[in-house]
This record gives sequence, structure tokens and C-alpha cells, in this order.
Amino acid sequence: MATLTSRLKVPGMSGGLLTTRQRRENFYGYLFLTPWLLGFFGLFIGPGLGSFYFSLTKYDVLSSPQWIGLDNYITMFTDDPLFWTSLGRTFYYAGLGVPLGVIGSMFLAILLNAKLRGLATYRTLFFMPSLVPIVASVVLWKWLLNDDFGIINQTLNDLGWSDPPGWFGDRRWAIPSLILMGLWQGLGGTRMIIFLAGLQGIPETLYEAASIDGANAYHKLLHVTLPLLTPTIFFNMVLGVIGGLQVFTAAFVATEGGPGFATTFYSLHLYRHAFDYWNMGYASALAWFFAIVIVSLTIWQLRLSRRWVFYYGG
Amino acid sequence: MAATLDRLPSADIQIDVQRRGRNQIQMALTYILLTIASLLFAFPLFWTVSSSLQTWQELRSFTPHLLPVVPQWGNYAQVFESVPFARWLGNSFLITAITIPGTIITASLTAYSFARFNYIGKEFWFVLMLGTLMIPSQVTLIPQYVLFFNLKLINTYVPLTIGSWLGGGAFMIFLLRQFIMSIPKDLDEAALMDGANPVRILRSVLLPLMKPALTTVAILQFLNDWNEFFAPFIYLSRSHLFTAAVGLRFFQNIPLETTDPRDHLLMAAAAIMTIPVITLFAMAQRYFIQGVVLSGLKI
Repeated sequence: MATLTSRLKVPGMSGGLLTTRQRRENFYGYLFLTPWLLGFFGLFIGPGLGSFYFSLTKYDVLSSPQWIGLDNYITMFTDDPLFWTSLGRTFYYAGLGVPLGVIGSMFLAILLNAKLRGLATYRTLFFMPSLVPIVASVVLWKWLLNDDFGIINQTLNDLGWSDPPGWFGDRRWAIPSLILMGLWQGLGGTRMIIFLAGLQGIPETLYEAASIDGANAYHKLLHVTLPLLTPTIFFNMVLGVIGGLQVFTAAFVATEGGPGFATTFYSLHLYRHAFDYWNMGYASALAWFFAIVIVSLTIWQLRLSRRWVFYYGG
Repeated sequence: MAATLDRLPSADIQIDVQRRGRNQIQMALTYILLTIASLLFAFPLFWTVSSSLQTWQELRSFTPHLLPVVPQWGNYAQVFESVPFARWLGNSFLITAITIPGTIITASLTAYSFARFNYIGKEFWFVLMLGTLMIPSQVTLIPQYVLFFNLKLINTYVPLTIGSWLGGGAFMIFLLRQFIMSIPKDLDEAALMDGANPVRILRSVLLPLMKPALTTVAILQFLNDWNEFFAPFIYLSRSHLFTAAVGLRFFQNIPLETTDPRDHLLMAAAAIMTIPVITLFAMAQRYFIQGVVLSGLKI
């Protein structure tokens, strides 16, 4: 993203007076931008500021908001154990699921990038699970991972594991179950396609040069493929973290946050306060804190990327 | 040149044989890994279809059948009899019928603005637009809900579709902008010489060339709305308005007249909900791939 801003053209501002041409550019530029600007202010900036205001009030939609200053934020940090639990659970889910997902997708893409026959079929098979709507996928995985009658536990039983995990019904296994489902859906999806495109962007001459220097397949992977894939890895990590931290639907449909509070992720905690208890003020404070966490993490990843992301020829 | 002539031909052949042998082992390994992985990916899909065609007694036996003894096609009919699933599928299609034209029109306009005009503030708006991708939707959720609540638009499709008519989202705009920038500007300028105004240029020069990108956008919009759970879940409470995604979860939880296990019916419903997406993919596979390639890599 850092390179993106530098690639943008700065509009011509030469001279003091606007030329006819510049006036025309301004007119049509803004004319075509209008629908988006309306949406940006009406559905994004306006509501964003609105929720900041709500976060400083006690508000239940039916009566008007009551100003309470920073009370919601103070409650959040000092008097809401579920705030910390849900934040921890969310980081556990994203911290384990995102790296596994990115590495797995990269691995599949590297396999598919070999110049072999019939690869299109494999690519299609890997891609298919990502097409399954998430609610349908949850219904399916709850059945696959059914404690007694699921095919997975029955197979594990046959293999001699007499006491296989309770998966979605077990506090310790609920998050790993969600991660497993997420990997099935995500590994071969758009992330893998992005990696494939990244791999195809690596110049063939580099591999040839490495071969002449006597490199074997493993050396090429380590010293050519991986360094040149770092921009793609980085891109997928950033998107993965932003998406992973916001996990809602899978956990809500599969377990409604349970068992216990095992899968009460941050967005589920927020949802409960907003739409079960109608604590719109408190939920808004939760939302703003969450936005700050996600934006800070993204900026931190951008900073960190300078140390490990390698842009070839750029 | 001299060096290559000096090398003995036999040594070359030997290296070649060695390398070919190693390549064959590598190739075999790759195929084995790919086959194992694809079986793992495909099995749950196969299992959905197989389970959807079994009786619940078959599913709940301790010796699972990989295939149904007698395919129970009636399970599919039973889904439509138990809950208004046909209506929910129709509702989902209706929503996509509203959002797809919205996104195509307004995201094209926005992308055209960003790709072809040099106006004051462009960079500022563009960076802000990309910034919206980073902000979690929860931040705007509550005031949006309050807004639509006060406008008496709960239990309508307005909250679910209005965004598509106001730009269609940063991702779609970015994708179309990338595409427009790949079209030579000479074409615009030639049309301008001929006296076409910018609206005309967009309509008659660019849009026809943008068909592949617009198809990609239409498909992505369809997938988004077909999958979307959260927004229809909070904005729709009357069951006749449900989308397929909300309906499927409803079907998972509601009590029915019979208390028999309904795993087989749920699998059938999950399969029904997935069929339109798989069909679309089968018809337009290259656009799925293209969308990713167009949008992802230039950031």
C-alpha cells in the first residue's frame, strides 16, 4: 500500500489560474465521483462519527442518548471480563488461523505452479470449497464433526482413537474446529489464486540463473521463490488479519459463541450488546476500540514489512 | 563458446539423465501431494450430497454408508415442504437483481472518475476510499441501524441494497479502475476529437471494452450477497423476507412438527443453496480468476 500512494499521479496544479482543461477535469471528475461521495459520507463518515458520539452516551435506540462521557470505555477496560476474554479468543483464532491459512495457500499454489498436465482440474477442486456459502459450510461441518455420528469421529474411532474430540461442543476444540473449517474454505480460494499470480510473475530467467549456479529445487524455493513472493505473502497477511479479527458468521451460526464463552469472539460480544441488550452506546465504544486495534495492527504490519518484504526491481 | 566446445558430450548426457531422473521423482511427488490434497478438499462436498440423499436412520447408524442405499430424492422435496426455502432463494435472487446493476453503474462511474480525470483532491479521495477497506464494519453498523430504524426501513431490502447504488464498495471500484487504466487513453482522445462528451465516451468507448471486468464485478457482487449473513440477519425479522443464508440458519434451529433428526434435510438445504454458486462458477470460471488477478496484485 505504501508503493500505491507513491504511484498515484498528482493532478496538474501548475500555474496560479485554473486552465479551461483543468476546470473541465474538476467538473467531470467530481460529477462521476458523486454517487460514491454520497455513500462515503452517508454510509461511512456520518455513521462513523455517529458511533463515536454514541460511544460517549447511554443509548437504547427508543429513548434519546444520555451523555456519560468516557464511562463506556472505562467499563470496557475495568468492569467487563468478557471484553478481555473475547479479545483474547479473537486473537487466538486469527493468530493461529491466518498464518496457517496463508502458508497453506502458498504451499498449494507452489504445487500447482509446477509445469505439469491436468493441473486445472486440481485447481478447480481446491477452489470449490471457497464457493460454498459460509452458512452452508457451517451446517456441513457441524455434521462432519458431529460428536457421535460425524464421519470424522467415526473414522478416528475406527483408527483406534476411542475418545476423539467433541469439536464444536468442546470448549478446547471449538476454536480449532472453526479454524479447520476456515482452512477447508479458504486455502484453495482467492488467496491461492493471488499466490499463483504472484508465482507467475517471477521471471523465468532467475530460475535459469539459479540452475546454472547449481541450485536444486529446494534452493530455488528458498532463495528465489520465497523472497520474490514476500509482497504476496504480506498482502495476504494484511487482508487475512483484517478479515480474521472480524470473524462473526461462522462462530455465530455454528456455536452462538459457546460452549461456555469459548467462541464468543469480539464481534459476537459487540453484537450481543447491540442487538440483545440494546446497549448501543456501549457497543459503539466496543466498535471504536476495535477499529483502533485493527488500524494499528495494519499500520504496524506495514512498518514491519520494510524489514522482510522484498520488491524485485522496484 | 570455446568452453562449451571443450566439454565432452558424454558428460552432458550423464548430467541430463541424472536431472531427468530427479525431475521424474519430483513430478511423481507433486502429483501424489496434489491428489491427496484434492481428495481432502473434495470429500466434504461429496459427503454433503451423499448425506442429503440418505435417510436419517442411515446417517445415524454406527456403520456409515459412503453412498445411500436407496437415494432419497424426496429429502429435497421435504426441505421445500418444511420451510419456505423456495421463497428465501427467490428473495436472495431479488436482492442480487437490485445490487448487480447498482454496482455496475455506480462503481463504473467512480472508477472512470479515478482512472481518467485529473482533478484537485483526487489522490485524497482515492486514499480515503482504500482506507475504508481497513475499517471494520462494526464502526458504522449501529448508526446505520439507527438511521434505517428511524426511516422505518427495517424489514425492507433498502439497507441491504443501497450501498451498491452508492459506489458499490472500494474493492469493486478499485478493480474497475485498474481495468480502465489498462485501456489506451488514445481511444478516449479520439472520441473526444470526434466531439463525444465524457458520458458518451464512457458509454460508447469504455463500457463495451470493460465487459470482462464488469462480468467479474457482477459475479463478485452475486457471491457477496448470496453469502451475506449478518446484514440480512439484523435487518430482516419477518421470515417471509429472509434470504437463503438467514433461512438456512433458521431451519437449523427452529422446532418442526417432527422431532426426528434433520441432518439429511439440512444437508439437502445446504446443497440447494450451493448449487447456484457452483453453476455460476462452471459457466464463468475464468472471470472468477480474473477478478483476483486484476485487483490483488498492484497494491
